[in-house]
Amino acid sequence: MKRVLSLLIILGLVSILTACNNNNDASGSDGKDSDGTVTLNFWTFGATGYDELLKEYEKENPNVKIKFKTSENADHHDALFTAISAGTGAPDIAMVEVDQLDRFKQAQDRFVNLFDQGAEEVKDQYQDWSWNTGQNVDGDFMFGLPTDIGPKALYYRTDVFEEAGLPTDPEEVANLINSPEALKDAAIQVKEETDKPFLDSMEMAYRAYLDAAPETHLNPEGELIVNQEGSPVKQAYDYAVELNEAGLVGNFEMWTPEWANAVNNGDFAAELGPGWLKGWMEGNAPDASGLFRVATLPTEFSANWGGSFLTIPAETEHAEEAYDFIEWLTSPENQLESFKSHGLFPSAPAVYEMDDFKTNEDEFFGGQVTSVVFGEAANDITDAVYKGEKYVSVNNEILTALTNVQEGADPEEEWDAAVKRAEDLVSR
Amino acid sequence: MKEVGSKKFSFSKILMYGFLTLASLLSLFPFYWMFVMATRPSAAYNSIPPTLTPGNMLVENFQKVLQQIDFFGAMWNSLILCVVVTIVVLLISSLAGFAFAKFKFPGKNILFIAILLTMIIPPQLGLIPQYFLIAKAGLLDTLQGVMILSFLNPLGIFLMRQYISGSISDELIEAAKLDGASNFKIYWKIVLPIILPAFATLGIIVFTSVWGEFLWQFTVLRDPEMYTIQVALASLNNTFKVDYGMLMSGVFWATIPLVIIFLLFNKLFIASITEGAVKS
Amino acid sequence: MSPFFIIFFCVGLFPILFSLYLAFQQWNGLSPMEFVGLDNFKIVLTDSLFWKSVYNTIIMGLLGTAPQLIVGIILAFLLNQVFLRFKQFYRVTIFMPYITSMVAVALVFSVLFSNQDSSMANYILGLFGLDPINWATSEWGTKIAISLMVFWRWIGYNTIIYLAGLQSIPRDLYEAATIDGASKFQQLRYITMPLLKPFILLTVFFSTVGALQLFSEPTVFLGQSAFTRSEAMTIVMYLYRDAFRLQSFGTASATAVILVIFIAVLAAINLYLTSGIGRKKKRGAGK
Repeated sequence: MKRVLSLLIILGLVSILTACNNNNDASGSDGKDSDGTVTLNFWTFGATGYDELLKEYEKENPNVKIKFKTSENADHHDALFTAISAGTGAPDIAMVEVDQLDRFKQAQDRFVNLFDQGAEEVKDQYQDWSWNTGQNVDGDFMFGLPTDIGPKALYYRTDVFEEAGLPTDPEEVANLINSPEALKDAAIQVKEETDKPFLDSMEMAYRAYLDAAPETHLNPEGELIVNQEGSPVKQAYDYAVELNEAGLVGNFEMWTPEWANAVNNGDFAAELGPGWLKGWMEGNAPDASGLFRVATLPTEFSANWGGSFLTIPAETEHAEEAYDFIEWLTSPENQLESFKSHGLFPSAPAVYEMDDFKTNEDEFFGGQVTSVVFGEAANDITDAVYKGEKYVSVNNEILTALTNVQEGADPEEEWDAAVKRAEDLVSR
Repeated sequence: MKEVGSKKFSFSKILMYGFLTLASLLSLFPFYWMFVMATRPSAAYNSIPPTLTPGNMLVENFQKVLQQIDFFGAMWNSLILCVVVTIVVLLISSLAGFAFAKFKFPGKNILFIAILLTMIIPPQLGLIPQYFLIAKAGLLDTLQGVMILSFLNPLGIFLMRQYISGSISDELIEAAKLDGASNFKIYWKIVLPIILPAFATLGIIVFTSVWGEFLWQFTVLRDPEMYTIQVALASLNNTFKVDYGMLMSGVFWATIPLVIIFLLFNKLFIASITEGAVKS
Repeated sequence: MSPFFIIFFCVGLFPILFSLYLAFQQWNGLSPMEFVGLDNFKIVLTDSLFWKSVYNTIIMGLLGTAPQLIVGIILAFLLNQVFLRFKQFYRVTIFMPYITSMVAVALVFSVLFSNQDSSMANYILGLFGLDPINWATSEWGTKIAISLMVFWRWIGYNTIIYLAGLQSIPRDLYEAATIDGASKFQQLRYITMPLLKPFILLTVFFSTVGALQLFSEPTVFLGQSAFTRSEAMTIVMYLYRDAFRLQSFGTASATAVILVIFIAVLAAINLYLTSGIGRKKKRGAGK
């Protein structure tokens, strides 16, 4: 046995040496190399296809090398937060999701103001509301250039609609379901004819009004405003409760296997989903292929769900080069590329007019050109949404209340309890 | 070896085999299911009731993994990491355990308690200060930066202390000292051969836990070239558009080395038992 | 040994001191810190959710972790029998849960314990004429499901530590006992247990710490609702939520300090209680 042990020790020493060697090429990644090449570290999350696009940029700009890294959404933002918080080790360019943006906005000094790099010049390329989300409250500091957005539309099952005696053509559906009340009426018809819920979950029903509200749980001073009279959050909550009492909301929590199964089998009729949801459906609901269509939502519900921004942490020594790259990457031409390859819905309206975009037929949606529907939905959105750093946590309290309501709890008591919990969260 | 007094088909034996077999099946099921998922398309993941038989996409799913990440490079990094950490932990733990079990030195108990205390801060909270230290030491993006935090292993030191104090008598060590053996020689010639079963156990535990650890490795390693297998696999998990067949394929193949490691260490375990039996 | 102490400092001391310092500050991770005295402790100790998380942690520790110590000894004892066939196979399989990736484990458990009436767990309950349980949001359903997951995942870990302990017991003791006509149970009671005591102390200590730091299993089992619902929120989840969801590192650190005190007290109590097992004269331990 001694021999085995000695062998292990030798193996260990060898691997320590190898580990040290590996380390050598990692150093010197910051700062310019001797031949004047600039290396930019670029962190993203999810599948963006940017790793392919950036090769083109490197070809056009031989003095720039880009080190690309992609991770899972939550992991990525936590790692970025750790680096920004510790004040060391942040990348030159970081992608930030819209729900996460506000927590980084508190650290304005840790980011490069993109206005200093000339961002004002490209302002007109992007949706106004999306551009405004990337700014600070005063509008004098630009955190990030918008990449993709998530305009919402009505995804509906044609087979369920048909069974319920509803129209199945997207135009007709949009004309029929043109107000929150009309949506409820259609939902009742589905319920009566097919015994299926219209929407999958309380969250989906609640988000209908919520996503469309310009100010929701918190105001820019960080104060909780859900408890104020006429809060749009309460309106959204009440609508979800109302639909639920009429038996129109299913119990399929998003992203669970039961939910995926229900999408696949058509156990509910519709979703108020963002553009990026279709990528998920294509991959995970194969049996539903050809059965879904997408229609424009009532204007009360036209809203954005998700999307991202490209920021430049202040630690970088190459703000200029980093900015040139992100401006290139978010140009309408390249947004079209990301749309075609990975379904990132463009934040630049100019793309909606491009031929490749307008003729992009979706096999999964029976050949419908869904991109046009989402393009219209994006143009319908008017305001940037203010979320605030504790948005997700406060919102989760309301969602908990809704879950309890669905299980039979009293809506008003649950609302009061959720507001109380939210007050406690905000006070930390 | 014949066991005295054990009947061939006693009721208790049947009970015992039944119990162990049931435990084995329950333990194996998720592992088996991981394999099933690795052989099927993504949508099978969501099917209700769950799919329980393997499909035919074993190779295809793994090819997709290879397209997405540098699987073998990441496996190599993990292997280096785990081998180094395991060896260092075994050495430090056995030396420290030996010292705590058999030597008297000032502050011994306080030091021992201090070592146990280091594991009491939840790792999730220690992340930022530890990251800060590693970053300041210039060890971001290096395997050394990942390793350094794993070298001090309270479980290892505690385990070795208990094992050594239980299985090696003070007389044996006194006798060796009288023969003029140095402390290191006593460690090498007397202690080491006896504690091999504990080595095997600790080796398995340390190797497996470092192999599976994610949060810290992910925080330190950013350059895809330096990725360990867990970090590389996590980049496959893209929240809204996951190919579960591919993900499970990567996860499954990344687990296989652990089974091999377990069998290797278990060999050491079994071998040392027979050796020990001869000695006593 | 000096590099040993440098590492010791980095790993252990710095985060401890840092957390202790932070416990008296208000800090969101980005802005400058602000000294707030004992406010953080006041906030945490008066928060009913914190006490709920303490309660949850203890219940799940009793349900999921404590039984491991007993079943682990029995398993190790059986696996150590000389006449046992397929020893290798049983050992590997019982350790498998610890090896199996959390991604797979999470999914298997969420399917077994899904909310639907037709889920495996509810089907089994139905066989006994019991009503289906909501495993995702009910007070006891979540705790039981998570405890089972903890038990399942860690039993192999404790078993192989006990197996190592059993190796230190001379085999001839059992042989002599067998000749004297002692049953297997008597052997377990009068030979194995007392001589295994140092290892029982060890697993009790580490299981206490592990149970109080319970985090991955509930987080993975609950998925999205992990940090929003209170039924199965543990102390570390509470602390993590403060730090990384609410950017309140001060209260998170204060919670950690309170947790450390809990761990120290509980570990001491447990060690005291277990040291009563098979009270026997200490053999040559160098004290």
